[in-house]
Amino acid sequence: MDSSNDEALDIIVTNVVATFRTRCHLNLRTIALEGINVIYKPEVGKVLMKLRKPKITASIWSSGKIICTGATSEDEAKLGARRLARCLQKLGFKVRFSAFRVVNVLAVCSMPFAVHLIDFTKNNRPIASYEPELHPAATYRIKNLKATIQVFSTGSITVTGPNVQNVATAVEQVYPLLFECQKPLCK
Amino acid sequence: MSPGVCRTCGGSDIDLDQARGSAVCTGCGSVLEDNIIVSEVQFVEGSGGVSSAVGQFVSSEGPVKAPVLGSGFHTGVGKESRAQTLQSGKRQIQNLGSQLQLNQHCLDTAFNFFKMVVSKHLTRGRKTENVIAACLYLVCRTEGTPHMLLDLSDLLQVNVYILGKTFLLLARELCINAPAIDPCLYIPRFAHMLEFGVKTHEVSMTALRLVQRMKRDWMHTGRRPSGLCGAALLVAARMHKFHRTVKDVISVVKVCQATLRKRLTEFEDTPTSQLTIDEFMRVDLEQECDPPSFTAGQHKVKMQQLEQELAKKLDEVEGEISTYKDEIETELERNHPKLRGVYAAYSKEIDPQEEDASSLTSDPEERRSVDVELEAAAQHLTQDFLCQVIQEETEQGKKTDDICKEGEAGSKPEEAGPSRQTAPLVSILGKLTNAASLDLQESFTTLKDTETDNQTADEQPDGGELDLDGIDDLEIEKYILNEREVQVKTELWMKQNEEYLREQKEKEERIKKEKEEGTYKEKPKKPKKKAEQIEASTAGEAIARMLEKKKISSKINYDVLRDLNRRGKGSETGSSTSDTPTGAGRKRLTRRRRRQKTNNGGDTDRGLAATASIMGKRLRPLISTSTPKKKKTASEAENTVSTTEPVKEVVSEVQAPPPDPTTETSSAHVDEEEEEEEEAEPQEEEDQCVSALQLIGDYGCDVDEEEVF
Repeated sequence: MDSSNDEALDIIVTNVVATFRTRCHLNLRTIALEGINVIYKPEVGKVLMKLRKPKITASIWSSGKIICTGATSEDEAKLGARRLARCLQKLGFKVRFSAFRVVNVLAVCSMPFAVHLIDFTKNNRPIASYEPELHPAATYRIKNLKATIQVFSTGSITVTGPNVQNVATAVEQVYPLLFECQKPLCK
Repeated sequence: MSPGVCRTCGGSDIDLDQARGSAVCTGCGSVLEDNIIVSEVQFVEGSGGVSSAVGQFVSSEGPVKAPVLGSGFHTGVGKESRAQTLQSGKRQIQNLGSQLQLNQHCLDTAFNFFKMVVSKHLTRGRKTENVIAACLYLVCRTEGTPHMLLDLSDLLQVNVYILGKTFLLLARELCINAPAIDPCLYIPRFAHMLEFGVKTHEVSMTALRLVQRMKRDWMHTGRRPSGLCGAALLVAARMHKFHRTVKDVISVVKVCQATLRKRLTEFEDTPTSQLTIDEFMRVDLEQECDPPSFTAGQHKVKMQQLEQELAKKLDEVEGEISTYKDEIETELERNHPKLRGVYAAYSKEIDPQEEDASSLTSDPEERRSVDVELEAAAQHLTQDFLCQVIQEETEQGKKTDDICKEGEAGSKPEEAGPSRQTAPLVSILGKLTNAASLDLQESFTTLKDTETDNQTADEQPDGGELDLDGIDDLEIEKYILNEREVQVKTELWMKQNEEYLREQKEKEERIKKEKEEGTYKEKPKKPKKKAEQIEASTAGEAIARMLEKKKISSKINYDVLRDLNRRGKGSETGSSTSDTPTGAGRKRLTRRRRRQKTNNGGDTDRGLAATASIMGKRLRPLISTSTPKKKKTASEAENTVSTTEPVKEVVSEVQAPPPDPTTETSSAHVDEEEEEEEEAEPQEEEDQCVSALQLIGDYGCDVDEEEVF
């Protein structure tokens, strides 16, 4: 996976967020009353629907915009979205599946070494920021990839980006920087 | 300023005469400059022989104080907005800073930061006090003062994370790299607050050593520095025989008990904690520890691994036990004499036992209701018996392995993924047993799931059409409730959300009512200014009217403007005839409405009637647009009367009955009048209105029409 090490780093994608449009107006009350696993929030104006098969939670608005969260891969997100659209079709709405777009991907990765956050922040001054009073991790933002990496002192990192490819590239980019500031483990 | 080279001859020899203030070229004699401006300080002699410098002191922060003119009359301009912002910012900084006991230098730096922020327009959309707090904290960080963000949030009663967000943004935008917080900075401050008296310094030193040790042991990354300080101070205090409780320390350091306890236990885990006090002061251990959360994670992983191994061993043991059990049973059966005749019934009893054994294995199948599984289970059972029989006959483990593995291979094409799971079991047990068959059945179900998943993972380009490929309709139908369930759920939901539904109903009713009255305002979000449209014949008139309405600027003398406009009125009326009647009607409408707005002092009767007429007037454009251009006033009046009748009902809802006849008559009356006016001479009407105005005695304004009763 990464060039400077023999072992491969496991990048585990934990969450994929995607949106799509049904191009038709949805009656939230009907959905709320006739569906299983739905939570209706009239104050906000949306319905939460949870699917079991790809474990997905979808927020449905009456304008026809739907946000799916909880999938573990881009394909799964698409599958879940299609399942959801099919379910809405069965409820009687003229649903069309359009503008499917993966918005955000969250992945975690664990380095085999601990990282000295203060050195890391010092070396990458404007890009990295570390504020222990606010958050235990140092934040590193890569502008051109639009990815944000949070580095914890134990060596675990979480990466968020617009798609899985970007996330992988971001990890590869940040690995050498982390390697420099590593703290050798005594055990 | 000094001329370098002569323009005419090019010579550089130029003579500057300060007295005359001229520059002359000595080569050709041409005068290059006359009246040279000098920037020198001049002195004047004041009364009493005191000489003072000429000039005014101008602050660098712009015209903060307007120069006092003559008698100190307050100029109408006032200060500029930017200067005001900066001034108020400075005041707030001084306020907050003094509460934090910051010195003047820090406050000035903070103010400089604030000026930078304002010039970059970063104060937009943020509360000024948040921005001020962020500037102050920025200064604290760069100067290294022992102030925490928590202190600032305490003073302002604002969530510390909001302040932190602002602070991070400012630091990023201003490109200021605040150095990382060192917990050592806070020790003296907290020690002072804990009141150790004479020994404060010693305790601080000990605490500092402790903190440095903690840093080396990797306890400080990712943690709030205040927590570490608290733990260090507590230990240091105890070391010096001060009985400071956890509560005392918490109140000073601002962390919670749980955090402090945790830090203490983490420190306990390090080898340094084992040293005695004297040893600690003298010796420094070389070994460094891993971060505590890392060790915790490792610990968890180890526990999980142990659990897995234990589970595996349990399975093995179970498997062995069941094989022994089966063997014993078969042995017993074989050795048991076969019952015949009368005792055949007994043999049936034994058989159900065996059947039970097989039915046990088949129950899970039925539960899952998959035909394949039934077949496979039957296969496995027969193989099971086969294996056992063969084993008893040959008693060669290897052969059974082969046969079992053949049996495995037969079913292998069906098992793709979980073969990993079955392989170790097979190798451990050596032959299929009940337990193993159960596991295999489980593996079948998981396999089926993975297969279906694989199918449904096919990609299709979305052209708006929903691709049904691979979506299991049956499964999806499970997501939809049937009729009965829908009813039940509807009831439940209605009961749950009664409040909200009631509110919605009330809102709808309200809107309906307003719609009927005609006062329905679509949505409060839309700007109400749209309602009045200014119709004017010339651009100048339109601007004048708008200015009057809005009274935007304090620099315009509206009275003069009005007079100007009125004098020009005579020429304008001619052009107004070109307007459509509806346009004119609307014009008058707006004027009347505005007139009404400005007319506060009317008596109630007139007021009511006026509002009533407004109702009529407002409907007027509706009426006039629907009906064609009128010729007969009578018919028009009739129309208006007839239309006002249904309107009357609406109007009566709002107003008391008495004004009703007046409404009708007045609206009809005025309508009639308007008709006449429109048809005949708009000029006259306006003149008439002017005179009426004067009669009534309201202050004259551009709006000339008035309700004539």
